[in-house]
Amino acid sequence: MDFGFTIAAYAVAGVLFILSLGGLSGQESAKRAVWYGIAGMAIAVFATLIGPGAELWWLSIILIALGAIVGHQLAIRVQMTQMPELVAIMHSLVGLAAVFVGFNADLMINNIAEIYEANGLVLGAIEDGGYKAIGLPKEINDGLSAFGQLIAKKTGVEIGILRVELVLGIWIGAVTFTGSVIAYGKLAGKVDSGAKKLPGGHLLNASAVILSLILSIMYLSGAGSWTLVLLTLLALFIGYHLIMGIGGADMPVVVSMLNSYSGWAAAAIGFSLGNDLLIVVGALVGSSGAILSYIMCKAMNRSFVSVILGGFGGPAGEQMAVEGEQVAIDADGVATALNEADNIILIPGYGMAVAQAQGAVSELTNKLRARGKNVRFAIHPVAGRLPGHMNVLLAEAKVPYDIVMEMDEINDDFPETDVAIVIGSNDIVNPAAQDDPNSPIAGMPVLECWKAKQVFVSKRGQGAGYSGIENPLFFKDNTRMFYGDAKDSINKLLPLIE
Amino acid sequence: MKIGTPKETFEGEARVAMTPDSARQLQKLGYDCLIEIGAGTRAGFSDATYEEAGVTVVGSAADLWAQADIIAKVRQPESSELGYLTADKTLISFFNPAANEEGMDAAKTAGANVIAMEMVPRISRAQKMDALSSMANIAGYRAVIEAGNNFGRFFTGQITAAGKVPPAKVLVVGAGVAGLAAIGTSTSLGAITYAFDVRPEVAEQVESMGAEFVYLDFEEEQQDGAASGGYASVSSPEFREAQLAKFRELAPEVDIVITTALIPNREAPELWTEDMVKAMKPGSVIVDLAAEKGGNCKLTVMDEKIVTEGGVTIIGYTDFPSRMATQSSTLYATNIRHMMTDLTPEKDGQINHDMEDDVIRGATVTYQGEITFPPPPPKVAAIAAQKPKEPLKELTPEEKRTEEIAAFKAQTKQQVTLLSIGALLVLAMGLIAPASFMQHFIVFVLSVFIGFQVIWGVAHSLHTPLMAVTNAISSIIILGALMQIGSSSILITILAAAAVFMASINIFGGFLVTRRMLAMFQKS
Repeated sequence: MDFGFTIAAYAVAGVLFILSLGGLSGQESAKRAVWYGIAGMAIAVFATLIGPGAELWWLSIILIALGAIVGHQLAIRVQMTQMPELVAIMHSLVGLAAVFVGFNADLMINNIAEIYEANGLVLGAIEDGGYKAIGLPKEINDGLSAFGQLIAKKTGVEIGILRVELVLGIWIGAVTFTGSVIAYGKLAGKVDSGAKKLPGGHLLNASAVILSLILSIMYLSGAGSWTLVLLTLLALFIGYHLIMGIGGADMPVVVSMLNSYSGWAAAAIGFSLGNDLLIVVGALVGSSGAILSYIMCKAMNRSFVSVILGGFGGPAGEQMAVEGEQVAIDADGVATALNEADNIILIPGYGMAVAQAQGAVSELTNKLRARGKNVRFAIHPVAGRLPGHMNVLLAEAKVPYDIVMEMDEINDDFPETDVAIVIGSNDIVNPAAQDDPNSPIAGMPVLECWKAKQVFVSKRGQGAGYSGIENPLFFKDNTRMFYGDAKDSINKLLPLIE
Repeated sequence: MKIGTPKETFEGEARVAMTPDSARQLQKLGYDCLIEIGAGTRAGFSDATYEEAGVTVVGSAADLWAQADIIAKVRQPESSELGYLTADKTLISFFNPAANEEGMDAAKTAGANVIAMEMVPRISRAQKMDALSSMANIAGYRAVIEAGNNFGRFFTGQITAAGKVPPAKVLVVGAGVAGLAAIGTSTSLGAITYAFDVRPEVAEQVESMGAEFVYLDFEEEQQDGAASGGYASVSSPEFREAQLAKFRELAPEVDIVITTALIPNREAPELWTEDMVKAMKPGSVIVDLAAEKGGNCKLTVMDEKIVTEGGVTIIGYTDFPSRMATQSSTLYATNIRHMMTDLTPEKDGQINHDMEDDVIRGATVTYQGEITFPPPPPKVAAIAAQKPKEPLKELTPEEKRTEEIAAFKAQTKQQVTLLSIGALLVLAMGLIAPASFMQHFIVFVLSVFIGFQVIWGVAHSLHTPLMAVTNAISSIIILGALMQIGSSSILITILAAAAVFMASINIFGGFLVTRRMLAMFQKS
């Protein structure tokens, strides 16, 4: 088994990975697509293990088995509402792995350079009149590991590029690592989810970036590995500070951005190792995350930069004052309206996930559907804390996916809807986005639920949501506030539906 | 001003246009009310109750017409009554202006203003004065009651000690106001009710009343009733054939047929043919609410009840509202009262005949010596038209072509710019970077490209699984760690081992959790 076989296996794995992403275009084909991904991964790992360059394979297998046990436990135990946390923490692992692999490459370069020196040679020197590097004498070369051999035969320019790549890999990996850890903390409620900044704000980030640029130039010109360590620390700080400055509602963008970063980190490492499969997969994951971030930003009508820099752009003028009062209603009132309604649309948001109300919501849906009512769900692209978060929660609660609609599919149907129920969402149903040009969310596409004949808003209490923006929906004549924990509120409705 | 209501002169008409209740309301508007002696007797309102309500009882029709400034009545006025009209009088009544040239001419010559109650436009604001609807409602109810009266069995199915009674089957043809009222009455009596209408959009209303809508196997785009103010219009011959075939199929099964199909200003369409009547079981009943306009069944005799040789009763009465005079008078008087409210915006007992008002303009057929019938179309459409399927703006082929070409050019320009910038960057890199790097770089560029193509196709609802799966596969970084793990340096081995461990957590965790999520998605 030589190198050719490994590359062939990588080609097969690459195709399988592409198919596994492409298969996610539909719920049914997706079930098959996962298997493509699993097969691709198995082939890639197997081929690497038996291929040249992999030594200590017994250690590798033990570690993989251990990782499998931990991974299995994580996957089995996680609740669907905790999905965003799980995804975030998994990103941090990829980031950290990228940092380690990058450091290894640097260490290996140093090792090889020492060996060259010991033999009175210079790493990367070029043969007279040729392009090939002067290699080590055969007996020394054979004594190196495969990875060592790979580096040992590189020319000076190639080593330079290798260093650029590993700097990139380490830097992105480190940002991904701390960024994901903070994102995890925010999503799990272990870190305050508000936007926090150290004094200095963006200036601090900018100077950290400039400093890392200087350090990487120093490293590339041969200042030594200490610059790399310092660079990593700076990147860790940037990841921490960047995500600390972004609030809870922007998490869908953050998580998909980190997803993208973990891909680019893998691609950069792939370059430095000369491994095409790493490059292919890294590029796939990187572009996937980038597209997701783009979709999320578009759904909030905000530029990627403004999300990343945190906080909302300053409003151009005074926001429209909201007039009227919020009128409360009790479970009986909501139930009566539901019993009389034919067309019902439910709009779930993060509040439903927090209250774990998806089971109750599903039961309510079943009861209403059993009475011949047309019940549908309207999902805003940024509802929840993860792209597609609400879909997964509703699927877990066994709500059939064909009544779960996207914003564009259902927005025109609100005028014919008798009752719209907003469950724990706020900004995505805020009419100010359309009516008030001075609103911070002006221009953001929203679900036009206020066009329904009646709107009920299930909400913990008065007061604006995360973003602190007043929601005129709550003050509309056809809106009634159904205060209380989402799960309790829905459960109260259940016996009243007849 | 004074409002007066004469006794109806039409033979057998029992209704009256003013009730003691409506009179009280009219007085609140500032009017004095007059009524001809005995006008309300047949509707169950005695002269004494009128007097109690403050109405002056007038001895004769001539006196009443002379004293009153406004005359409210039910039936289209007869020639003798038209003779009483003078320039300062306003008449509010059913007038049948489309077939009453003579009446309009008389009113015009006299200079009187006439408001025809059947001309009230069908807009939301005018519903309270829509007398056609209130009368049709009563007709529909009464039709079922008459049918029941002539039908020898129960409506509802029963299982009794004395044997099993099957439920009656009722077919209502035409689901207008009368049809819907008939459906409601019939279902609440317990009959199995079917209903048919040429306007498919009423199926929902029919089903909401508890009846089953009879659908035709007919492909042609069916007409939208919204275009004609919610009324039915004439259907194509093919459609008619399909409809008759369906009725033939139903005829042997149904016990009671109530036909209410009327097209404004036309003879009633024949929907229940002779052979269908023959196919019906003996004892069945047909109530033809269209009898006045020739009947939906040609065997119908206007104003009479006949029994065919096959034992089928056909009822052709045209005076169903009059047969329930108390109820219909109450509703009609209320319609009149609402009309008066609109005519008296100041509540000062003075009529303000505002010809700018859509409703008043629409209902007025003669005004100050002019015939104002037919009215211009109302500014507000009666019923929102169904959304047109095509976009409103129709471009000419040339315009379309130029637009397409412009869009294509812009797209091309954008693509070419992007591509050339990208190509320049890649080429510039190729100048400095060694070939071994560029080989990998090609792979990278192509993969990013494939990634962009593939990910756009991912369903929105699968974004979370997508993240989990990309997470799992981004752990491909394990390959790098696996290659480094066998190094001679212990530090490298430790770092690589840690990376292998973390990446494999991710691989297994990521794929498993994706599978778990995808397994949950299910269709209903």
